[in-house]
Amino acid sequence: MNMVQQTIVDPSKKNKRRKSYLKSSEVGLFSRLFFGVVLTLFSVLSIMPLVWLALSSFKTTQEFQMNRLGLPVNWFFKNYVFAWEIGNMGTLVLNSVFYTTISTIAVVLFSMTAAFAFAKIKSKATPFLYGSFVIGILLTVQSIMVPLFLMANLVDLLDTRLGVLIPYIGLGLPIGVYLCTEYVKSIHDSIIESARIDGAGYFKIFGRIVFPMAKPVISTLSILNVLSVWNEFMLINIIVSRESLKSLPVGIMKFSSALTSDYGKQFAALVIGLLPLLLFYLAFRNKITEGVSAGAVKG
Amino acid sequence: MKMLRTRKEERRAYLLLVLPAVLLYFAVVAFPMVFSIWMSVSDYSGGQIFGGSTPVKLIGFSNYSRMWNDKYFWISLKNNVFIVLISVFGQIPLGFVLAYAINRGRVRAKGFYQTIIYLPCVISSVIVGILWQTIFSPYGPVTELMQRSIPGWENNLLSNPRTAIIPVLLVMLWMYTGTYFIIFLANLQKIDQQVLEAARIDGATEGQTLRYVILPALSGVIVTSAILAISGSLKSFDLIYAMTGGNPARRTSVLALYMYDTAFRGAPNYPLANAVSTFMMAFSFLLIIITKLVEKRFGGREE
Repeated sequence: MNMVQQTIVDPSKKNKRRKSYLKSSEVGLFSRLFFGVVLTLFSVLSIMPLVWLALSSFKTTQEFQMNRLGLPVNWFFKNYVFAWEIGNMGTLVLNSVFYTTISTIAVVLFSMTAAFAFAKIKSKATPFLYGSFVIGILLTVQSIMVPLFLMANLVDLLDTRLGVLIPYIGLGLPIGVYLCTEYVKSIHDSIIESARIDGAGYFKIFGRIVFPMAKPVISTLSILNVLSVWNEFMLINIIVSRESLKSLPVGIMKFSSALTSDYGKQFAALVIGLLPLLLFYLAFRNKITEGVSAGAVKG
Repeated sequence: MKMLRTRKEERRAYLLLVLPAVLLYFAVVAFPMVFSIWMSVSDYSGGQIFGGSTPVKLIGFSNYSRMWNDKYFWISLKNNVFIVLISVFGQIPLGFVLAYAINRGRVRAKGFYQTIIYLPCVISSVIVGILWQTIFSPYGPVTELMQRSIPGWENNLLSNPRTAIIPVLLVMLWMYTGTYFIIFLANLQKIDQQVLEAARIDGATEGQTLRYVILPALSGVIVTSAILAISGSLKSFDLIYAMTGGNPARRTSVLALYMYDTAFRGAPNYPLANAVSTFMMAFSFLLIIITKLVEKRFGGREE
């Protein structure tokens, strides 16, 4: 489409450099228009379902059945009150914050210490150990789910916070160790050697030099881990059955299957469910998109 | 003497530094992995593994042949293949087009578009699944919109077993395109602007620049995206679990859901479930190797 228009506008295709330079600026106008339309269209498609959800969450279920597309006639805020209370949303949000924070801190800390050893201390064990972490990146949760369930049952960790946290930390380590090791490798040996000569021990070097220098990779890793742990559903769904330990996605799932035809409350619950991560995203959107593309390409 | 002491200190530090990660990783990831493969060739049916009243026996590949003869396995595998295809030939190209549009078009409000297009990716897939299930349901807005143009239109999008996977695939396109958009955008911005300018001054058309400058520069990213798409597609569970539960009549099941049903719904069959998950790993590796081989072929031709 674009190409056709371009030849119609400027048929003198073979002409000299100055002409083609001119042409490129003309194409600029058309492509700008064309690309603008494509982008706008897709953006509208991306956001429409969410806008519809937000609007519908302010309708009573009766109103929703009469008016499925329009704005709410009477803005009904009580859906949120009901959803928050019936769904125990306060507990769910706190649980999700707890699982996400603790596992992210642990993944970052353990990945960084291992990365420092792998990258800067010579050992014959490194190729085997580091290699097994790297293989783990391609692993799927499914292939360890049944064993994890049986093991948790064996050591009485089913239905406990620890039973959720330990697998979450373990599953976050492969990509964490990989990203951190590759990063720490880029820190100059001479910095560490001179600290050694000054008499600093390895733990001091780690705390004072390596960890602070690795801030970019730590932020990437934290973001990747927060997104994946917050949204994790399959594993926590089998480990936990007690209401008071459920995470937000598990709680929302249960809430919505219990109240399938009570649309007003269901929509309010969905909005409550997506709001925390949405705010996190809007607050750190540049860091998040950077982190995702860095993590993806290296992974 | 001093040498010796530093060596010793070095070893001790190494051990302490790697210990937490290694212990956790081997306990929670590496060992279960091996355990799972072992279970897939055994007749373990719950209870004690050692010293139980009926000892666990290794029975070879009969769990795999049972899986192979189950029609639900094939339905699930077929759906997984559809998901791989929509990711590789839907999400990735669309993500690229959008990234190219934003980068080449010198669009104003770049950040605004970027924020909106990536937004669906940060929502829990469970929530996305419930939301879209309502949107496509007979009581949802899709029905209303369709009935306005075709009066009396009957909505069987999610209830017709033969086509129910199509809405699911559309939602996947909606949700995950943003990821590839972000990846391509980041890498398009890394391409040297002077090279592009030079190509344009030399009279290269938009299409030529794309074909001979931009795409070759991105070939590595395309392959990584494909690998990401393949392994992500085989993992997919949450979205389908929330949106259709694998129904109607288990026609929208995927391997992960089939495995979950086998292990955690009704009478558990752990060996069969582990045969499925082991197959998923092997299948994922196979597809990734094929992708790498394709890359080698085409990478060679392009130079």
